[in-house]
Amino acid sequence: MKLTKYEKARIIGARALQLSMGAPPLIRLSKDMHEPITIAIEELNRGVIPITVYRRMPEKKLLGEEE
Amino acid sequence: MLTKEEIDARLEELKDRLPESILKELREELHKVKLTEEALESIIDEVLKRYEYAKVEPGEAVGVVAAQSMGEPSTQMTMRTFHYAGVAELNVTLGLPRIIEIVDARKKPSTPMMTIYLEEEYARDREKAEQVAREIETLYLEDLLEKSEIDIVHQRVNLYLDEYEMRRRKVEMEEVLKKLGSVKGVSVEAEDNVVSVVPEKTATIKELRKLENRLKGIHLRGIKDIRRVVLRREGDEYVIYTEGSNLKDVLRIEGVDITRTKTNDITEIQRVLGIEAGRNAIINEILDTLNEQGLQVDVRHLMLVADMMAVDGTIKAIGRHGVSGEKASVLARAAFEITVDHLLHAAVAGEYEELEGIVENVIVGRPVKLGTGMVELVMRRELEEAKEAREAE
Repeated sequence: MKLTKYEKARIIGARALQLSMGAPPLIRLSKDMHEPITIAIEELNRGVIPITVYRRMPEKKLLGEEE
Repeated sequence: MLTKEEIDARLEELKDRLPESILKELREELHKVKLTEEALESIIDEVLKRYEYAKVEPGEAVGVVAAQSMGEPSTQMTMRTFHYAGVAELNVTLGLPRIIEIVDARKKPSTPMMTIYLEEEYARDREKAEQVAREIETLYLEDLLEKSEIDIVHQRVNLYLDEYEMRRRKVEMEEVLKKLGSVKGVSVEAEDNVVSVVPEKTATIKELRKLENRLKGIHLRGIKDIRRVVLRREGDEYVIYTEGSNLKDVLRIEGVDITRTKTNDITEIQRVLGIEAGRNAIINEILDTLNEQGLQVDVRHLMLVADMMAVDGTIKAIGRHGVSGEKASVLARAAFEITVDHLLHAAVAGEYEELEGIVENVIVGRPVKLGTGMVELVMRRELEEAKEAREAE
């Protein structure tokens, strides 16, 4: 399913923080990729970030949504 | 070149992706032009792109955006309210005062007004339209009088009927006499255009004065609350504008087109036609007032306002006595107006703060559930789990 712009921003933010604290990137980096945020964006586009979005439904049920 | 049928077939495929109104407009416009398949595809792509772009994403602060979108044009209006052209000879509240009136959900608008459309047969014919208009306008006996006097010597009240007015309003003498006949305790004598009303018992001057006033106030015909009507030609039909509003009774008049007739009294619409009609009335009234001032506001903002006002089945005001005053959270209410009263009452009643809304969380200093603050993330454990499994081996 499509992510909202807010979900994208949060995922990129969270992932970039991990990367900046030394987490190993999950993609092969090209030469010009140094910024954690750039890397996080690329990871998100490739769909390799191990993060799940929980969407709260009106009935308070949780819907686990992949990336 | 594509035929109309081919275009329709292609548009039919988009049924799930575009709303009906857009599809309809698209269909109408596309039928007017000659198209190649390529051109059609690029148009459809563009429409889809624009439509997706115009959609609101979950988490968007729609309320704040709506407030700003109405607030900004309102400031423009205060500066320009005083020079406007009124509708016909009728005086109508417009501009900011009107917007405030709508949003406050007043019981009666300051200038109630109706626009009465007529059924085909009546709308084309001036004679028939005038007849309907006469049936609607309230007429009191006083309106027909040239003068009235009290004759103490002969113990009577003399009413001098104005022949011109009688002719203009098409009132027959019989009609007046019949109405007067139903007044209790008096006898009526008529001579030419003078009607004398004689009390059966001898009366004092005071009593005669009272009688005179009562006679003047006799309701001859028309609908209560409708003080004045204006007949106007609009395009190829006649439309009746009225000062004063009484939707329920007007809809009963023969010849009135009940599907188009409207009033600017929103609570009355809600009472007569129901809450959905009331909601639509709010949207249309605000939109018309803004457009009249040359201001363009996206309807969706107004729809949100109207929805908030109409959620609980009756129309309630925005502000202390309505939407803001009925919020579930104590802190949210206290943040709006009369802070101390709300906190005191909450303390006495032992209210519970759920900290679900925006305002409460701002006050408490927690992240707000809006936009990125609304997203809940969880790390997927599979990588770590795989590692743990490897180590276990």
